[in-house]
Amino acid sequence: MNMSVISVKGLSKYYQVHQKEPGLAGSIKSLFNRKYYDVKAVDNVSFEINEGELVGFIGPNGAGKTTTLKTLSGLLYPTKGEVSVLGHTPWKREPAFQKQFALVMGQKNQLWWDLPAMESFILNREIYEVPKARFEETLSELSDLLEVQDLLKVQVRKLSLGERMKMELIAALIHSPKVLFLDEPTIGLDVVAQKKMRDFIKAYNIKYKATIILTSHYMDDVKELCKRIIIIDKGTKLFDGDLDEIVRKFADHKLLSMVLDKELNRRQIEHLSALGGVKEYAYPKLILQVPRENSNKVAAKLLQSYPVADLNIEESALEDIVREVFTGKDVA
Amino acid sequence: MKKYFTVFLVSWQNEFVYRVNFILWRIRNLLRFSMIYFLWAGIFISNRNVFGYNQPQMLTYVFMVFLMGTLILSAPSSDNIGGEIGNGDISNYLVKPVGYLKYWFIRDIASKSLNILFAIVELFLVWLVLKPQLIIPSSPQIIFGFVTAVLIATCLYYLLSCLVRFIAFWTPENTWGLSFLLLVFVETLAGGIFPLNILPSWIYTFLQFTPFPYLVYFPIAIFTEKIAGWELIRILLQSTGWLVLIFWMTKYTWKRGLVVYQAYGR
Repeated sequence: MNMSVISVKGLSKYYQVHQKEPGLAGSIKSLFNRKYYDVKAVDNVSFEINEGELVGFIGPNGAGKTTTLKTLSGLLYPTKGEVSVLGHTPWKREPAFQKQFALVMGQKNQLWWDLPAMESFILNREIYEVPKARFEETLSELSDLLEVQDLLKVQVRKLSLGERMKMELIAALIHSPKVLFLDEPTIGLDVVAQKKMRDFIKAYNIKYKATIILTSHYMDDVKELCKRIIIIDKGTKLFDGDLDEIVRKFADHKLLSMVLDKELNRRQIEHLSALGGVKEYAYPKLILQVPRENSNKVAAKLLQSYPVADLNIEESALEDIVREVFTGKDVA
Repeated sequence: MKKYFTVFLVSWQNEFVYRVNFILWRIRNLLRFSMIYFLWAGIFISNRNVFGYNQPQMLTYVFMVFLMGTLILSAPSSDNIGGEIGNGDISNYLVKPVGYLKYWFIRDIASKSLNILFAIVELFLVWLVLKPQLIIPSSPQIIFGFVTAVLIATCLYYLLSCLVRFIAFWTPENTWGLSFLLLVFVETLAGGIFPLNILPSWIYTFLQFTPFPYLVYFPIAIFTEKIAGWELIRILLQSTGWLVLIFWMTKYTWKRGLVVYQAYGR
Protein backbone atom coordinates (compact mmCIF):
# COMPACT_ATOMS: atom_id res chain seq x y z
CA MET A 1 0.00 0.00 0.00
CA ASN A 2 2.72 2.43 0.97
CA MET A 3 4.39 3.87 -2.07
CA SER A 4 7.75 5.48 -1.71
CA VAL A 5 7.57 9.01 -3.06
CA ILE A 6 11.12 9.99 -2.27
CA SER A 7 13.93 7.55 -2.58
CA VAL A 8 17.55 8.43 -1.88
CA LYS A 9 20.34 5.92 -2.26
CA GLY A 10 23.94 6.63 -1.32
CA LEU A 11 23.66 10.35 -1.95
CA SER A 12 26.93 12.25 -1.69
CA LYS A 13 27.74 15.84 -2.49
CA TYR A 14 31.30 17.12 -2.20
CA TYR A 15 32.35 20.71 -2.64
CA GLN A 16 35.75 21.99 -3.53
CA VAL A 17 36.54 24.86 -1.26
CA HIS A 18 39.65 26.95 -1.13
CA GLN A 19 41.11 28.04 2.10
CA LYS A 20 42.13 31.64 2.60
CA GLU A 21 44.47 32.73 5.34
CA PRO A 22 43.16 35.66 7.36
CA GLY A 23 43.88 39.26 6.41
CA LEU A 24 44.83 41.08 3.25
CA ALA A 25 48.12 39.22 2.95
CA GLY A 26 46.15 36.01 2.90
CA SER A 27 43.91 37.38 0.17
CA ILE A 28 46.89 38.28 -2.01
CA LYS A 29 48.48 34.92 -1.39
CA SER A 30 45.27 33.18 -2.35
CA LEU A 31 45.33 34.93 -5.72
CA PHE A 32 48.40 32.98 -6.71
CA ASN A 33 48.37 29.84 -4.71
CA ARG A 34 45.07 28.34 -3.73
CA LYS A 35 44.79 25.28 -1.61
CA TYR A 36 41.66 23.33 -2.36
CA TYR A 37 40.11 20.65 -0.28
CA ASP A 38 36.94 18.61 -0.50
CA VAL A 39 34.11 19.34 1.86
CA LYS A 40 31.74 16.44 2.22
CA ALA A 41 28.47 18.30 2.60
CA VAL A 42 26.52 15.07 2.26
CA ASP A 43 28.16 11.68 2.47
CA ASN A 44 26.45 8.46 1.53
CA VAL A 45 22.97 9.24 2.82
CA SER A 46 20.04 6.94 2.05
CA PHE A 47 16.39 7.03 3.01
CA GLU A 48 12.90 6.37 1.69
CA ILE A 49 9.87 8.51 2.36
CA ASN A 50 6.32 7.38 1.70
CA GLU A 51 3.32 9.28 0.49
CA GLY A 52 1.80 11.58 3.08
CA GLU A 53 4.69 11.35 5.53
CA LEU A 54 5.84 14.46 7.34
CA VAL A 55 9.50 13.96 8.15
CA GLY A 56 11.67 16.22 10.28
CA PHE A 57 15.20 16.74 9.12
CA ILE A 58 17.39 17.85 11.96
CA GLY A 59 21.02 18.62 12.46
CA PRO A 60 23.24 21.56 13.41
CA ASN A 61 24.21 24.29 10.95
CA GLY A 62 26.24 22.90 8.10
CA ALA A 63 25.09 19.35 8.74
CA GLY A 64 23.99 18.87 5.14
CA LYS A 65 20.24 19.30 5.55
CA THR A 66 19.88 22.12 3.08
CA THR A 67 22.27 20.52 0.62
CA THR A 68 20.12 17.40 0.66
CA LEU A 69 16.97 19.42 0.08
CA LYS A 70 18.60 21.33 -2.76
CA THR A 71 19.58 18.09 -4.41
CA LEU A 72 16.06 16.73 -4.01
CA SER A 73 14.78 19.94 -5.61
CA GLY A 74 17.09 19.63 -8.59
CA LEU A 75 19.22 22.66 -7.79
CA LEU A 76 22.37 20.66 -7.26
CA TYR A 77 23.89 17.77 -9.11
CA PRO A 78 25.06 15.11 -6.67
CA THR A 79 28.62 13.86 -6.68
CA LYS A 80 27.38 10.29 -6.24
CA GLY A 81 24.18 8.43 -5.59
CA GLU A 82 20.66 8.01 -6.88
CA VAL A 83 17.67 10.16 -6.12
CA SER A 84 14.11 9.74 -7.24
CA VAL A 85 11.27 12.08 -6.33
CA LEU A 86 7.82 11.17 -7.65
CA GLY A 87 9.59 8.92 -10.11
CA HIS A 88 11.69 11.74 -11.54
CA THR A 89 15.36 12.52 -11.33
CA PRO A 90 15.26 16.02 -9.82
CA TRP A 91 18.27 17.61 -11.54
CA LYS A 92 16.82 16.87 -14.97
CA ARG A 93 14.31 19.59 -14.04
CA GLU A 94 11.45 18.20 -16.04
CA PRO A 95 8.38 20.45 -15.97
CA ALA A 96 6.24 17.41 -15.14
CA PHE A 97 8.23 17.06 -11.93
CA GLN A 98 8.47 20.77 -11.18
CA LYS A 99 4.71 21.16 -11.33
CA GLN A 100 4.32 18.71 -8.47
CA PHE A 101 6.71 19.96 -5.85
CA ALA A 102 7.73 23.13 -4.07
CA LEU A 103 10.73 24.28 -2.12
CA VAL A 104 10.23 26.93 0.54
CA MET A 105 13.31 28.46 2.06
CA GLY A 106 12.69 30.64 5.09
CA GLN A 107 15.33 33.13 4.07
CA LYS A 108 14.74 33.33 0.35
CA ASN A 109 11.88 35.14 -1.22
CA GLN A 110 10.29 34.83 -4.59
CA LEU A 111 7.62 37.51 -4.23
CA TRP A 112 7.89 40.72 -6.23
CA TRP A 113 8.95 43.20 -3.62
CA ASP A 114 7.28 46.27 -5.09
CA LEU A 115 3.97 44.76 -6.11
CA PRO A 116 1.12 43.24 -4.13
CA ALA A 117 1.56 39.52 -3.47
CA MET A 118 -1.44 38.86 -5.69
CA GLU A 119 0.64 39.69 -8.78
CA SER A 120 3.22 37.09 -7.84
CA PHE A 121 0.44 34.55 -7.35
CA ILE A 122 -0.97 35.32 -10.78
CA LEU A 123 2.45 34.94 -12.33
CA ASN A 124 2.90 31.59 -10.62
CA ARG A 125 -0.55 30.55 -11.80
CA GLU A 126 0.64 31.08 -15.37
CA ILE A 127 4.04 29.52 -14.82
CA TYR A 128 2.54 26.38 -13.31
CA GLU A 129 -0.40 26.47 -15.73
CA VAL A 130 -3.01 26.20 -13.00
CA PRO A 131 -6.58 26.45 -14.34
CA LYS A 132 -8.26 29.68 -13.23
CA ALA A 133 -11.06 28.06 -11.25
CA ARG A 134 -8.67 25.86 -9.32
CA PHE A 135 -6.42 28.83 -8.69
CA GLU A 136 -9.27 30.83 -7.16
CA GLU A 137 -10.27 27.89 -5.01
CA THR A 138 -6.76 27.16 -3.75
CA LEU A 139 -6.06 30.81 -3.13
CA SER A 140 -9.16 31.38 -1.07
CA GLU A 141 -8.50 28.21 0.88
CA LEU A 142 -4.89 29.05 1.63
CA SER A 143 -5.56 32.67 2.48
CA ASP A 144 -8.37 31.59 4.81
CA LEU A 145 -6.16 29.10 6.56
CA LEU A 146 -3.41 31.68 6.98
CA GLU A 147 -5.79 34.59 7.63
CA VAL A 148 -4.36 36.94 5.06
CA GLN A 149 -7.39 37.65 2.85
CA ASP A 150 -7.09 41.39 3.48
CA LEU A 151 -3.42 41.58 2.62
CA LEU A 152 -3.43 40.16 -0.90
CA LYS A 153 -3.49 43.60 -2.49
CA VAL A 154 -0.90 45.23 -0.24
CA GLN A 155 2.58 45.89 -1.59
CA VAL A 156 4.84 43.10 -0.35
CA ARG A 157 7.44 45.52 1.03
CA LYS A 158 4.83 46.89 3.43
CA LEU A 159 4.05 43.50 5.00
CA SER A 160 5.58 42.32 8.25
CA LEU A 161 7.99 39.39 8.19
CA GLY A 162 5.32 37.01 9.44
CA GLU A 163 2.79 38.17 6.87
CA ARG A 164 5.37 37.94 4.14
CA MET A 165 6.29 34.39 5.09
CA LYS A 166 2.62 33.46 4.82
CA MET A 167 2.49 35.00 1.35
CA GLU A 168 5.64 33.15 0.38
CA LEU A 169 3.95 29.97 1.46
CA ILE A 170 0.87 30.71 -0.63
CA ALA A 171 3.05 31.51 -3.65
CA ALA A 172 4.81 28.19 -3.19
CA LEU A 173 1.61 26.20 -2.77
CA ILE A 174 -0.63 27.77 -5.37
CA HIS A 175 -0.05 24.81 -7.68
CA SER A 176 -0.98 22.34 -4.91
CA PRO A 177 2.32 20.46 -4.85
CA LYS A 178 2.31 16.85 -3.73
CA VAL A 179 5.82 17.09 -2.37
CA LEU A 180 6.96 19.95 -0.22
CA PHE A 181 10.41 20.80 1.07
CA LEU A 182 10.33 23.32 3.88
CA ASP A 183 13.67 24.72 4.89
CA GLU A 184 13.36 26.61 8.18
CA PRO A 185 9.85 27.86 7.48
CA THR A 186 9.47 29.42 10.93
CA ILE A 187 12.82 31.19 11.10
CA GLY A 188 12.56 34.69 12.51
CA LEU A 189 8.86 34.42 13.30
CA ASP A 190 7.41 35.24 16.69
CA VAL A 191 5.88 32.54 18.85
CA VAL A 192 2.31 33.17 17.73
CA ALA A 193 3.23 33.20 14.07
CA GLN A 194 5.30 30.04 14.52
CA LYS A 195 2.32 28.29 15.98
CA LYS A 196 0.12 29.44 13.09
CA MET A 197 2.64 28.22 10.59
CA ARG A 198 2.84 24.83 12.28
CA ASP A 199 -0.91 24.43 12.36
CA PHE A 200 -1.00 25.29 8.70
CA ILE A 201 1.68 22.79 7.72
CA LYS A 202 -0.13 20.08 9.64
CA ALA A 203 -3.43 20.92 7.98
CA TYR A 204 -1.86 21.00 4.53
CA ASN A 205 -0.22 17.65 5.13
CA ILE A 206 -3.50 16.00 6.06
CA LYS A 207 -5.73 17.74 3.58
CA TYR A 208 -3.63 17.20 0.47
CA LYS A 209 -1.90 13.99 1.58
CA ALA A 210 1.26 15.91 0.84
CA THR A 211 4.65 14.41 1.48
CA ILE A 212 6.67 16.93 3.44
CA ILE A 213 10.25 17.23 4.55
CA LEU A 214 10.85 19.90 7.13
CA THR A 215 14.08 21.24 8.50
CA SER A 216 14.05 23.42 11.54
CA HIS A 217 16.14 24.56 14.43
CA TYR A 218 13.09 24.86 16.59
CA MET A 219 12.50 21.55 18.25
CA ASP A 220 8.94 22.62 18.92
CA ASP A 221 8.31 22.54 15.17
CA VAL A 222 9.62 19.02 14.95
CA LYS A 223 7.97 17.77 18.13
CA GLU A 224 4.60 19.02 17.09
CA LEU A 225 4.66 18.10 13.44
CA CYS A 226 6.80 15.10 12.75
CA LYS A 227 6.27 11.52 13.70
CA ARG A 228 9.48 10.50 12.04
CA ILE A 229 12.80 12.26 12.14
CA ILE A 230 16.07 11.92 10.31
CA ILE A 231 19.10 13.28 12.09
CA ILE A 232 22.16 14.16 10.09
CA ASP A 233 25.43 15.68 11.12
CA LYS A 234 28.62 16.31 9.19
CA GLY A 235 26.93 14.94 6.11
CA THR A 236 26.09 11.52 7.46
CA LYS A 237 22.84 10.11 8.72
CA LEU A 238 22.89 9.41 12.45
CA PHE A 239 19.33 8.38 13.08
CA ASP A 240 16.20 7.61 11.12
CA GLY A 241 13.08 6.58 12.94
CA ASP A 242 10.22 7.54 15.18
CA LEU A 243 10.51 10.56 17.39
CA ASP A 244 9.25 8.52 20.37
CA GLU A 245 11.91 5.96 19.80
CA ILE A 246 14.71 8.46 20.04
CA VAL A 247 13.37 9.79 23.31
CA ARG A 248 13.15 6.29 24.73
CA LYS A 249 16.57 5.35 23.47
CA PHE A 250 18.50 8.41 24.46
CA ALA A 251 16.62 9.93 27.32
CA ASP A 252 18.08 7.58 29.86
CA HIS A 253 18.33 10.48 32.27
CA LYS A 254 15.82 12.60 34.05
CA LEU A 255 16.24 16.09 35.31
CA LEU A 256 15.66 17.09 38.92
CA SER A 257 14.98 20.76 38.97
CA MET A 258 14.94 22.46 42.38
CA VAL A 259 14.48 25.77 44.05
CA LEU A 260 16.63 26.11 47.16
CA ASP A 261 16.01 27.89 50.44
CA LYS A 262 19.60 28.51 51.28
CA GLU A 263 22.89 28.61 49.44
CA LEU A 264 24.73 25.32 49.57
CA ASN A 265 27.89 25.00 51.60
CA ARG A 266 31.06 23.54 50.25
CA ARG A 267 30.51 20.06 51.62
CA GLN A 268 27.04 19.88 50.14
CA ILE A 269 28.29 20.97 46.73
CA GLU A 270 31.01 18.34 46.76
CA HIS A 271 28.52 15.72 47.76
CA LEU A 272 26.17 16.62 44.88
CA SER A 273 28.37 14.96 42.28
CA ALA A 274 27.85 11.65 44.00
CA LEU A 275 24.11 12.00 43.40
CA GLY A 276 24.14 13.08 39.77
CA GLY A 277 25.53 15.50 37.23
CA VAL A 278 25.08 19.18 38.03
CA LYS A 279 23.53 20.73 34.94
CA GLU A 280 23.00 24.13 36.36
CA TYR A 281 23.57 25.80 39.69
CA ALA A 282 22.72 29.43 40.10
CA TYR A 283 21.23 30.05 43.50
CA PRO A 284 18.34 29.55 44.13
CA LYS A 285 18.08 27.28 41.10
CA LEU A 286 19.67 23.85 40.87
CA ILE A 287 19.27 21.27 38.12
CA LEU A 288 20.66 17.76 38.49
CA GLN A 289 20.76 15.11 35.82
CA VAL A 290 20.32 11.61 37.19
CA PRO A 291 19.92 8.16 35.66
CA ARG A 292 16.27 7.37 35.02
CA GLU A 293 16.11 4.43 37.44
CA ASN A 294 17.66 6.39 40.32
CA SER A 295 15.56 9.48 40.03
CA ASN A 296 13.13 8.73 42.86
CA LYS A 297 15.81 7.65 45.28
CA VAL A 298 17.93 10.71 44.60
CA ALA A 299 14.93 12.98 44.90
CA ALA A 300 14.12 11.56 48.32
CA LYS A 301 17.66 12.02 49.48
CA LEU A 302 17.78 15.61 48.27
CA LEU A 303 14.57 16.48 50.06
CA GLN A 304 15.97 14.96 53.23
CA SER A 305 19.42 16.48 53.45
CA TYR A 306 19.33 19.61 51.28
CA PRO A 307 17.51 22.92 51.77
CA VAL A 308 15.03 22.23 48.99
CA ALA A 309 11.94 24.42 48.78
CA ASP A 310 10.56 22.88 45.61
CA LEU A 311 11.47 19.91 43.43
CA ASN A 312 10.35 18.72 39.99
CA ILE A 313 11.23 15.58 38.08
CA GLU A 314 11.34 16.26 34.33
CA GLU A 315 12.14 14.49 31.08
CA SER A 316 15.17 15.79 29.23
CA ALA A 317 14.33 18.34 26.59
CA LEU A 318 14.39 17.14 23.02
CA GLU A 319 17.13 19.66 22.31
CA ASP A 320 19.36 17.95 24.85
CA ILE A 321 18.62 14.52 23.50
CA VAL A 322 19.48 15.60 20.01
CA ARG A 323 22.61 17.31 21.22
CA GLU A 324 23.66 14.07 22.85
CA VAL A 325 23.17 12.30 19.56
CA PHE A 326 25.40 14.86 17.88
CA THR A 327 28.14 14.68 20.45
CA GLY A 328 28.88 11.17 19.46
CA LYS A 329 26.81 8.68 21.35
CA ASP A 330 26.63 5.51 19.37
CA VAL A 331 23.35 5.53 17.58
CA ALA A 332 23.13 2.55 15.31
CA MET B 1 3.66 30.99 -24.19
CA LYS B 2 1.02 32.71 -22.13
CA LYS B 3 3.22 32.57 -19.06
CA TYR B 4 5.77 34.84 -20.70
CA PHE B 5 3.08 37.30 -21.62
CA THR B 6 2.17 37.48 -17.94
CA VAL B 7 5.83 38.05 -17.13
CA PHE B 8 5.68 40.98 -19.54
CA LEU B 9 2.58 42.46 -17.91
CA VAL B 10 3.91 42.10 -14.38
CA SER B 11 7.22 43.65 -15.43
CA TRP B 12 5.42 46.70 -16.77
CA GLN B 13 3.58 47.11 -13.50
CA ASN B 14 6.89 46.88 -11.74
CA GLU B 15 8.38 49.61 -13.94
CA PHE B 16 5.54 51.94 -13.01
CA VAL B 17 6.34 51.62 -9.31
CA TYR B 18 9.56 53.55 -9.72
CA ARG B 19 8.29 56.65 -11.49
CA VAL B 20 10.98 59.01 -10.22
CA ASN B 21 13.68 56.52 -10.97
CA PHE B 22 12.36 56.11 -14.47
CA ILE B 23 12.23 59.85 -15.13
CA LEU B 24 15.75 60.34 -13.81
CA TRP B 25 16.95 57.56 -16.04
CA ARG B 26 15.35 59.26 -19.05
CA ILE B 27 17.00 62.56 -18.11
CA ARG B 28 20.35 60.87 -17.79
CA ASN B 29 19.97 59.42 -21.29
CA LEU B 30 18.92 62.74 -22.72
CA LEU B 31 21.91 64.52 -21.15
CA ARG B 32 24.25 61.96 -22.58
CA PHE B 33 22.65 62.37 -25.96
CA SER B 34 22.95 66.17 -25.84
CA MET B 35 26.65 65.99 -25.00
CA ILE B 36 27.44 63.81 -27.99
CA TYR B 37 25.08 65.76 -30.23
CA PHE B 38 26.60 69.15 -29.45
CA LEU B 39 30.11 67.79 -29.66
CA TRP B 40 29.53 66.66 -33.26
CA ALA B 41 27.47 69.73 -34.11
CA GLY B 42 30.42 71.83 -32.90
CA ILE B 43 32.92 69.88 -34.98
CA PHE B 44 30.85 70.46 -38.10
CA ILE B 45 30.81 74.24 -37.63
CA SER B 46 34.33 74.47 -39.00
CA ASN B 47 34.39 71.28 -41.07
CA ARG B 48 32.14 70.17 -43.87
CA ASN B 49 33.37 66.63 -43.87
CA VAL B 50 34.79 64.62 -40.97
CA PHE B 51 36.02 61.02 -41.38
CA GLY B 52 34.02 60.82 -44.58
CA TYR B 53 30.79 61.87 -42.84
CA ASN B 54 28.90 65.05 -43.63
CA GLN B 55 26.80 66.76 -40.98
CA PRO B 56 23.40 65.14 -41.70
CA GLN B 57 24.99 61.69 -41.84
CA MET B 58 26.79 62.12 -38.52
CA LEU B 59 23.85 63.71 -36.72
CA THR B 60 21.60 60.92 -37.97
CA TYR B 61 24.14 58.48 -36.54
CA VAL B 62 24.00 60.26 -33.18
CA PHE B 63 20.19 60.21 -33.18
CA MET B 64 20.13 56.56 -34.09
CA VAL B 65 22.72 55.61 -31.48
CA PHE B 66 20.39 57.11 -28.90
CA LEU B 67 17.59 54.82 -30.02
CA MET B 68 19.85 51.80 -30.45
CA GLY B 69 21.28 52.31 -26.99
CA THR B 70 17.82 52.02 -25.53
CA LEU B 71 16.65 49.23 -27.76
CA ILE B 72 19.75 47.11 -28.17
CA LEU B 73 22.68 48.07 -25.97
CA SER B 74 20.99 47.76 -22.65
CA ALA B 75 20.02 45.03 -20.28
CA PRO B 76 17.81 46.97 -17.89
CA SER B 77 16.54 43.96 -15.96
CA SER B 78 18.82 41.08 -16.85
CA ASP B 79 21.59 43.15 -15.29
CA ASN B 80 20.73 41.16 -12.18
CA ILE B 81 21.62 37.77 -13.58
CA GLY B 82 25.19 37.83 -12.26
CA GLY B 83 24.05 38.88 -8.82
CA GLU B 84 21.31 36.29 -8.74
CA ILE B 85 23.77 33.56 -9.56
CA GLY B 86 26.17 34.82 -6.91
CA ASN B 87 23.69 35.05 -4.07
CA GLY B 88 21.61 32.05 -5.03
CA ASP B 89 18.36 33.84 -5.88
CA ILE B 90 18.37 32.08 -9.21
CA SER B 91 17.24 28.97 -7.29
CA ASN B 92 13.77 30.49 -7.18
CA TYR B 93 13.43 30.05 -10.94
CA LEU B 94 15.29 26.78 -11.28
CA VAL B 95 12.68 24.89 -9.30
CA LYS B 96 9.86 26.19 -11.49
CA PRO B 97 8.75 25.18 -14.96
CA VAL B 98 9.98 28.43 -16.46
CA GLY B 99 12.94 29.15 -18.74
CA TYR B 100 15.36 31.44 -16.96
CA LEU B 101 16.82 32.92 -20.12
CA LYS B 102 13.41 33.48 -21.67
CA TYR B 103 12.15 34.98 -18.44
CA TRP B 104 14.83 37.67 -18.30
CA PHE B 105 14.58 38.32 -22.01
CA ILE B 106 10.91 39.12 -21.62
CA ARG B 107 11.62 41.31 -18.63
CA ASP B 108 14.20 43.23 -20.65
CA ILE B 109 11.78 43.60 -23.53
CA ALA B 110 9.14 44.95 -21.17
CA SER B 111 11.51 47.55 -19.80
CA LYS B 112 12.93 48.40 -23.21
CA SER B 113 9.55 48.82 -24.84
CA LEU B 114 8.59 51.36 -22.24
CA ASN B 115 11.88 53.18 -22.63
CA ILE B 116 11.73 53.23 -26.41
CA LEU B 117 8.32 54.88 -26.34
CA PHE B 118 9.76 57.67 -24.25
CA ALA B 119 12.95 57.86 -26.31
CA ILE B 120 11.00 58.39 -29.52
CA VAL B 121 8.97 61.19 -27.98
CA GLU B 122 12.12 62.80 -26.57
CA LEU B 123 13.93 62.64 -29.90
CA PHE B 124 10.95 64.14 -31.65
CA LEU B 125 10.96 67.07 -29.19
CA VAL B 126 14.70 67.56 -29.64
CA TRP B 127 14.21 67.51 -33.37
CA LEU B 128 11.45 70.11 -33.10
CA VAL B 129 13.73 72.44 -31.14
CA LEU B 130 16.99 72.00 -33.05
CA LYS B 131 15.60 71.14 -36.51
CA PRO B 132 18.78 69.34 -37.65
CA GLN B 133 18.88 67.88 -41.14
CA LEU B 134 18.52 64.09 -40.86
CA ILE B 135 18.50 61.18 -43.24
CA ILE B 136 15.21 59.32 -43.25
CA PRO B 137 15.01 56.19 -45.40
CA SER B 138 12.14 55.98 -47.82
CA SER B 139 12.18 52.58 -49.48
CA PRO B 140 10.27 49.77 -47.74
CA GLN B 141 13.13 47.43 -48.53
CA ILE B 142 15.49 49.53 -46.38
CA ILE B 143 13.01 49.78 -43.55
CA PHE B 144 12.40 46.04 -43.60
CA GLY B 145 16.16 45.37 -43.60
CA PHE B 146 16.66 47.80 -40.74
CA VAL B 147 13.90 46.31 -38.59
CA THR B 148 15.22 42.80 -39.18
CA ALA B 149 18.76 43.87 -38.29
CA VAL B 150 17.52 45.53 -35.11
CA LEU B 151 15.59 42.45 -34.00
CA ILE B 152 18.60 40.23 -34.56
CA ALA B 153 20.85 42.72 -32.78
CA THR B 154 18.52 42.88 -29.77
CA CYS B 155 18.66 39.11 -29.32
CA LEU B 156 22.38 39.04 -30.01
CA TYR B 157 23.18 41.63 -27.35
CA TYR B 158 20.99 39.87 -24.82
CA LEU B 159 22.79 36.59 -25.38
CA LEU B 160 26.21 38.24 -25.25
CA SER B 161 25.40 39.98 -22.00
CA CYS B 162 24.08 36.73 -20.51
CA LEU B 163 27.25 34.99 -21.59
CA VAL B 164 29.32 37.63 -19.80
CA ARG B 165 27.19 37.42 -16.66
CA PHE B 166 27.43 33.64 -16.52
CA ILE B 167 31.01 34.13 -15.39
CA ALA B 168 29.35 34.39 -11.98
CA PHE B 169 28.91 30.62 -11.96
CA TRP B 170 32.66 30.25 -11.71
CA THR B 171 33.63 33.36 -9.76
CA PRO B 172 30.56 34.43 -7.83
CA GLU B 173 32.44 37.12 -5.90
CA ASN B 174 33.49 39.65 -8.48
CA THR B 175 31.48 39.53 -11.65
CA TRP B 176 29.89 42.93 -11.52
CA GLY B 177 33.07 44.86 -12.28
CA LEU B 178 34.24 42.39 -14.87
CA SER B 179 30.96 42.23 -16.74
CA PHE B 180 30.66 46.02 -16.61
CA LEU B 181 34.10 46.36 -18.18
CA LEU B 182 33.41 43.75 -20.84
CA LEU B 183 30.10 45.33 -21.77
CA VAL B 184 31.71 48.77 -22.13
CA PHE B 185 34.08 47.15 -24.62
CA VAL B 186 31.17 45.56 -26.41
CA GLU B 187 29.38 48.91 -26.61
CA THR B 188 32.42 50.64 -28.07
CA LEU B 189 33.23 47.88 -30.56
CA ALA B 190 29.59 47.76 -31.58
CA GLY B 191 29.71 51.37 -32.70
CA GLY B 192 27.71 52.64 -29.77
CA ILE B 193 30.04 55.62 -29.22
CA PHE B 194 31.12 56.54 -32.76
CA PRO B 195 30.75 55.00 -36.22
CA LEU B 196 33.28 52.22 -36.65
CA ASN B 197 34.55 53.22 -40.08
CA ILE B 198 36.26 56.28 -38.64
CA LEU B 199 38.73 53.87 -37.03
CA PRO B 200 41.97 52.91 -38.83
CA SER B 201 40.96 50.62 -41.65
CA TRP B 202 42.78 47.54 -40.34
CA ILE B 203 40.83 47.74 -37.06
CA TYR B 204 37.60 48.27 -38.96
CA THR B 205 38.33 45.26 -41.16
CA PHE B 206 39.22 43.16 -38.14
CA LEU B 207 36.00 44.11 -36.34
CA GLN B 208 33.96 42.76 -39.22
CA PHE B 209 35.06 39.29 -38.18
CA THR B 210 33.52 39.77 -34.73
CA PRO B 211 29.81 39.85 -33.79
CA PHE B 212 30.02 43.39 -32.39
CA PRO B 213 29.39 45.63 -35.46
CA TYR B 214 26.13 43.76 -36.05
CA LEU B 215 24.78 45.24 -32.84
CA VAL B 216 24.71 48.93 -33.72
CA TYR B 217 26.99 49.91 -36.56
CA PHE B 218 25.43 47.80 -39.32
CA PRO B 219 21.79 48.47 -38.37
CA ILE B 220 22.48 52.22 -38.55
CA ALA B 221 24.42 51.79 -41.76
CA ILE B 222 21.37 50.09 -43.22
CA PHE B 223 19.13 52.88 -41.96
CA THR B 224 21.34 55.59 -43.48
CA GLU B 225 21.38 53.64 -46.76
CA LYS B 226 25.12 53.04 -46.68
CA ILE B 227 24.36 49.37 -47.16
CA ALA B 228 21.81 48.16 -49.65
CA GLY B 229 21.00 45.45 -52.16
CA TRP B 230 23.02 42.25 -52.02
CA GLU B 231 25.30 43.64 -49.36
CA LEU B 232 22.30 44.16 -47.14
CA ILE B 233 21.31 40.54 -47.54
CA ARG B 234 24.86 39.39 -46.85
CA ILE B 235 24.98 41.44 -43.64
CA LEU B 236 21.65 40.05 -42.48
CA LEU B 237 22.75 36.48 -43.15
CA GLN B 238 26.03 37.01 -41.34
CA SER B 239 24.31 38.49 -38.32
CA THR B 240 21.93 35.52 -38.26
CA GLY B 241 24.98 33.28 -38.30
CA TRP B 242 26.42 35.08 -35.29
CA LEU B 243 23.09 34.87 -33.54
CA VAL B 244 22.94 31.10 -33.96
CA LEU B 245 26.54 30.68 -32.84
CA ILE B 246 26.21 32.89 -29.75
CA PHE B 247 22.90 31.26 -28.89
CA TRP B 248 24.55 27.89 -28.90
CA MET B 249 27.47 29.16 -26.80
CA THR B 250 25.12 30.72 -24.28
CA LYS B 251 23.10 27.53 -23.94
CA TYR B 252 26.25 25.48 -23.55
CA THR B 253 27.72 27.81 -20.92
CA TRP B 254 24.39 27.85 -19.08
CA LYS B 255 24.33 24.07 -18.86
CA ARG B 256 27.94 23.89 -17.72
CA GLY B 257 27.27 26.65 -15.20
CA LEU B 258 24.35 24.83 -13.65
CA VAL B 259 26.54 21.82 -12.99
CA VAL B 260 28.96 23.89 -10.92
CA TYR B 261 26.22 26.05 -9.39
CA GLN B 262 26.18 25.65 -5.65
CA ALA B 263 22.93 27.41 -4.75
CA TYR B 264 24.57 29.71 -2.24
CA GLY B 265 22.83 31.55 0.52
CA ARG B 266 21.85 28.71 2.76
